[in-house]
Amino acid sequence: MAGATKYDAEEAKQAILDYCLRKGALAAGVADLGTLERIAPPGHRPSDIMPKVKSVISLGVGGQTQGAWAVPAKAMGYFGSTETRAYTISYGAAFFIEGKYQTPAIYCPPDMDNEKGPRVPLQSLKLHAEVAGIGARSLAGDILLHPEFGYMYFASVFTELELPPDQPMAQNPCPAPSCTSMYRQTGRTPCQKFCPVQCLSGTIDEAGKQAEMHYDMAACAEMSQQYEAVPDLLEKAMAAEDAQGREEALFDPDNKMLWYKMSVGSGGLLAQCFECMRVCPIATKSPLADPIRRSKAKAAGMGA
Amino acid sequence: MAQGLNRRQIGVTDAMIDSYGELIFGMSHNMQSRRGDPVRELDFDAIEASRDERGMSDGEIAEQIGLSEIQVMYIRTMMERRRFHTNHFQRLLDLGGGRRFREERFMPHEERFQYHDDALALRDAMRFDPERARHYSDQGWWNNDTLASLLARHAAERGTAPAIIQGETVISYADLWDRVDRLAGGLHGLGLGRGDVIAVQLPNVAEYVISYLAIARLGGVMTTLYMPHREREFETLLSHSRARALICLTDAGGFAAAQAALNLSLPKLQKVIAIGDAVAGTVSFADLANGTASADKLDLPLPVAADPMLLLYTSGTTASPKAVPHNSHTMLGNGRLGVGAHQLGPDDVIISAPPFGHLFGLYALHMSMHNGAANLLLPSFTPPDLAATIHAGRATALLAAPAHIAACLGMGLFDKHDCSALKIAILSGSAVPEEMARAASAKLPNCEITQLWGMTETQGGLYCRPGDGIEISATSAGRPAPGAEARIGEDGELQVRGSMLFPGYFDNPDANAAAFTDDGWFRSGDLAAQDGNGNFAITGRIKDIINRGGVKYNPREIEDLLDSHPAIAQSAIVPLPDEVLGERACCFAVATDPEIDLDILCDYLLSHGIAKTKLPEHLVLLDEMPLTPTRKIIKGRLPLPKIS
Repeated sequence: MAGATKYDAEEAKQAILDYCLRKGALAAGVADLGTLERIAPPGHRPSDIMPKVKSVISLGVGGQTQGAWAVPAKAMGYFGSTETRAYTISYGAAFFIEGKYQTPAIYCPPDMDNEKGPRVPLQSLKLHAEVAGIGARSLAGDILLHPEFGYMYFASVFTELELPPDQPMAQNPCPAPSCTSMYRQTGRTPCQKFCPVQCLSGTIDEAGKQAEMHYDMAACAEMSQQYEAVPDLLEKAMAAEDAQGREEALFDPDNKMLWYKMSVGSGGLLAQCFECMRVCPIATKSPLADPIRRSKAKAAGMGA
Repeated sequence: MAQGLNRRQIGVTDAMIDSYGELIFGMSHNMQSRRGDPVRELDFDAIEASRDERGMSDGEIAEQIGLSEIQVMYIRTMMERRRFHTNHFQRLLDLGGGRRFREERFMPHEERFQYHDDALALRDAMRFDPERARHYSDQGWWNNDTLASLLARHAAERGTAPAIIQGETVISYADLWDRVDRLAGGLHGLGLGRGDVIAVQLPNVAEYVISYLAIARLGGVMTTLYMPHREREFETLLSHSRARALICLTDAGGFAAAQAALNLSLPKLQKVIAIGDAVAGTVSFADLANGTASADKLDLPLPVAADPMLLLYTSGTTASPKAVPHNSHTMLGNGRLGVGAHQLGPDDVIISAPPFGHLFGLYALHMSMHNGAANLLLPSFTPPDLAATIHAGRATALLAAPAHIAACLGMGLFDKHDCSALKIAILSGSAVPEEMARAASAKLPNCEITQLWGMTETQGGLYCRPGDGIEISATSAGRPAPGAEARIGEDGELQVRGSMLFPGYFDNPDANAAAFTDDGWFRSGDLAAQDGNGNFAITGRIKDIINRGGVKYNPREIEDLLDSHPAIAQSAIVPLPDEVLGERACCFAVATDPEIDLDILCDYLLSHGIAKTKLPEHLVLLDEMPLTPTRKIIKGRLPLPKIS
């Protein structure tokens, strides 16, 4: 690229990943662009957004605190702005790359694809992370899990800087031995059992590996992502026979809470459920799954 | 709209959605499957082979089934919308903030309990003035006590203490709670639940108390039928109350109550629960009471104090009923405050001479549920039974109508039985003759004779307190109950308001319009006078006022005088329409001497200083008076003579 600073690819990769970790990412890696281009469907490949992209950097930030996973109040499991933190780091990383290497970089937006309609993202951040080796697909609807960091939120950076890619994980931490044991006894893993809408099913083979995973995303989304609840209640309000019916449709406690959540933008109610992750031993008990564990590991000289 | 285009622009029709919707939904990312771990393993062949299982993009679907991508996107989105009818999102609300894994007990919202329309209508009748409600709550007169919570507390704290004494049978509070819990479970098993009105026609027996408490535990509403009620009253009251069940005797003193209820074929009445011999088509009370499906095991929700708990009829048992709804706030708050005012404690033994079908009878239960006292039951009143039961049960508190006491005095029963344990008698239900009160006080020297004025609309509104002394108690109904206020209107009518007052008649707007003043006080219909110490004396009924050619007077004092005549057992004076004077006084009497006539009575009255203008001008002798359950004369049922 004209005017671009010459750089050592390995050093640059290390500097960029260090930046991400320094800013709060737990894990970061570089996905192989060719693999992504091959797996992602047309329209959702990195090059569809950034034609001259050479590298896709994926990073993950920690999810819940240990306390949030454990307290009886379920809501604590899904309150937070963790994903925003991931986006902030990746946004900063794009600035870092352009500033240090004078090479174009973009923060990959975690947004819907306007041309493809609702529930269709521009890019699969999950695919980026999986190929970059910082997560592997679980039985819980393909939520990515990490053997050390458990459950993470992911964000991606695209750049025209060519960086040496990482490899996917050699092993998938899911299912955990305890989950396999439960499956052997009951035919279900914890995530399958405790899913409120029973949207998860699948099998584990004799070697303790995932054989099949089935995920009813519609059922999951209907419960956990209340986007359709909003037009639904508006429709009810419009169809109400009288003022009392309209008032109830719009302002009964459930619906009023929905407006409140939307207006304050907490995101706590919209788009999360997390029962599967609350009972997942990898998400909650991996060696570095939460700040307490990470702090202890750091003190013990294991790094984190 | 899809990408800003409407259906007409992208060529999607309803037929297209109906035809391809399910297919597209199933092929889309809404249903995802994965075999093995091909992406992590970079097994590209497996990835390609299973691409459709992971959920296809709109473009891929379009290519496969022959629609445009934008049509697939539109149809997919519409199908997602159509599928959004399971209300799964409500589970998230159910989960939020609760204990972990509660979803294992999740019941779909549409399957959960709903109050039926009749129950909601009754609940809607519990409409109190908001300022008054706040005041009562602030004062602590209203709290969240319910019969269920009070009974549970006594069962836990003083489980062995006697709750019910009927003859030789003693039921402890723990046993009572168990029986109530099982009957509530049995009623629930019949499909009865919160808000349902359940009628009870029973004498004052243990089953009455258990039924009342079980209905309350269930969150139901009890309506009462008096024992003399027959088919005509059944039809009127069960229909008006929308009762879903009736608990009654198979044989109520020769009246086949259960069969009579069945014969009425009332559409709302789903169950007739009979005590006694089995009757085809009814449910056995014993089977319900001995069931194993208790309310506790069924995890039935506990009622709260604002729930209606009683629907009582105060008049119009055959036409235009006046139904009085009460909740725990009005009833139990008044009972709790009454316990302190009447100085009753947990060791007291309370007996009610009036039937539990009347609120004065229930007042005894309401008070005992607060202090954990024992209820000594008198299944049905006769003077000898009352005196003997007081004696045998060592009753310490007596609730009775003046007629009950007068009968006992007349038969010398307080001399024949040891009633020395009585420390208080609360007299109510009708006017208390002063001489009778003094006579009772003389016969029961250890017992405070007190008056209580109350109505079905108020329970205990005014009463004398222990220590007032017979001079006050014999001549007045005392002072307002805690939480109550009283005043005398311009027409001399007693008006009350307070935490014990019902909110208004159920389903009777005309009665409500007449019952309350513009500023929210309840018109009692009673005439009263207040002394300098704040005690109210009831002087008559406003409707009893006789207007003889413009001269208005209250016949109460004349009736009292007539009742003291040796030839008169009971008297009542009512206005008789007259073309000349408007009204004339007509005296009805039950005579002990058949030779008595109007002239003799008028001479007697004149000798006691009664003005000529107040003398009765007609006399009708009756074998017996029509009486309320508290033995008050029902003047409206007296047969007026036709005078030419």
